[in-house]
Amino acid sequence: MRFLALLRKELRECLPWMLLVAIAFFAVGGFLLRAEAYYGGYRHYSRLSPGTVVDHYQLTYYQTLNLTGPWLFCLSIGLGLVLGVRHFWIPHFTRTWPFLLHRSVSRKSILAAKLTAGTIAFVISLGTVWVALYWYASRPEVFAIPPTVRVFIEGWIFIMLGLVAYLGTALSGLSTANWYTTKIFGLVLATVIIVTTLSQWTLAGIFTSIAVSVAILLSQIFDTFLRREF
Amino acid sequence: MIETVLETEGLTKYYGSTLAVDHLDLKIPQGCICGFVGRNGAGKTTAIKLMLGLLRPTAGSSRLLGCDSQQLKPAIRQRIGYVTEGHRLFRWMSIAELEKFQRSFFPKQWDDKFFADMIEYFNLPRRRKIKHLSNGERAQVSLALALAPNPELLIMDDPTLGLDAAIRRQFLEGMIELIMRQGRTVLFSSHILGDVERVSDRIVVIDKGVLRANCSLEEFRAAVKKVILSFADSTPAEVDIDGLLHCRRSEKELELILVSTTDDHIGKWADRTGAERYHIVKMNLEDQFIEFTAPPGRKKLFRWEEI
Repeated sequence: MRFLALLRKELRECLPWMLLVAIAFFAVGGFLLRAEAYYGGYRHYSRLSPGTVVDHYQLTYYQTLNLTGPWLFCLSIGLGLVLGVRHFWIPHFTRTWPFLLHRSVSRKSILAAKLTAGTIAFVISLGTVWVALYWYASRPEVFAIPPTVRVFIEGWIFIMLGLVAYLGTALSGLSTANWYTTKIFGLVLATVIIVTTLSQWTLAGIFTSIAVSVAILLSQIFDTFLRREF
Repeated sequence: MIETVLETEGLTKYYGSTLAVDHLDLKIPQGCICGFVGRNGAGKTTAIKLMLGLLRPTAGSSRLLGCDSQQLKPAIRQRIGYVTEGHRLFRWMSIAELEKFQRSFFPKQWDDKFFADMIEYFNLPRRRKIKHLSNGERAQVSLALALAPNPELLIMDDPTLGLDAAIRRQFLEGMIELIMRQGRTVLFSSHILGDVERVSDRIVVIDKGVLRANCSLEEFRAAVKKVILSFADSTPAEVDIDGLLHCRRSEKELELILVSTTDDHIGKWADRTGAERYHIVKMNLEDQFIEFTAPPGRKKLFRWEEI
């Protein structure tokens, strides 16, 4: 009950940003898919006139779900930064940390509620929209070649990178060091991981780098939060 | 047996090289209303945060309800009400939302009726968001939230700061609601000595991080005295009276601020130094506090010369 109260509060603080990002991604993704489905309809096998030479490379290239990738990436990183600031920087400016920390729960629970809310925010605002777009693009007779599972997984990788940005922002927000010293560590680590991940080609490499970075960031966040003065 | 609900031992806190709290040894017995007073920057907020485990001490320790402040379990926190400095609450929540949030942490203790009565008494609209409340209204919500769980120990950090006289009066009356519940202990820091005088039965004075007094209000009132002595020719060169805190002199007069010096002793000293006459000036608590914590030489530029 106490954890749920904390979780509700943290989710409520994320809600405007979750809605904004979900609506933006749904609008952009939906527009791109609909436009391509409408104007790119000639690329569908069923609509080709007899005798047309099919360029398979072109068909693969125009897997339109890919077009939403940069948008998903930017929105995900943006959401990560905004939620990190909302959860871990704003309480410092509004001086609400003492009120929050004097709850009859452990500090671990307070932190866990924040991180859980952050993760749920990503899943709801970007994850569900991404699943919906993938489902639409995979329907028969929408595109000549439905998007591959890898495209779907890559979308989730972008969402996870947003989570890395969130954790990096959280760590920097919690640090009491100076900007020119270790305070910036969280953001720098998140940036390095994001760049590294984007340059990986194998899914195993991508997931490994994300898993390692999340583990490092989480351990640092917990350590900092439990020891920090407010 | 009177139990100690709050205890600090050599509590010390440095911020970098700045000493904020200096070897604070404090014991607050159960059931008292303790005014925690000090000038700006005296270390009141730091001391309170140390007691609540929000800051880590550089040295020493503190215990609340028998539990080390740095290891306060949720069950212990549940028994302690805390009103933060400036009444910092979640601005986006309405009073009703904040009530629901707060109630979740006190499932068995929360007194719905008490909270409703207080909100009604303060005439606060439940649906209004915290960000739309005035300072005074926020303070009232803050107090209602802290009192509704019926805490054994209530710690308030400058709760009346920035409030006008009427709101302050209402706030203190709300506080008295808790005081009337038997066995409850209140520690509240304040700059306003009138508030302390109105509700406290104990006073703790902290100055530059150092504990200067921890006694009943009556003892403090009786202990700090201002004596003015008049001399026919000139004032004595040396002032060697016991309990001397400050001494200011003009040509034929001495003004002494004394602590714990008996009237009898003052009389004898006046006779010994050949004073023509002397009188003990009645001071209110605020004057006593100002004199008690005044840095030496403060009035040097005016009429008196500090020695």
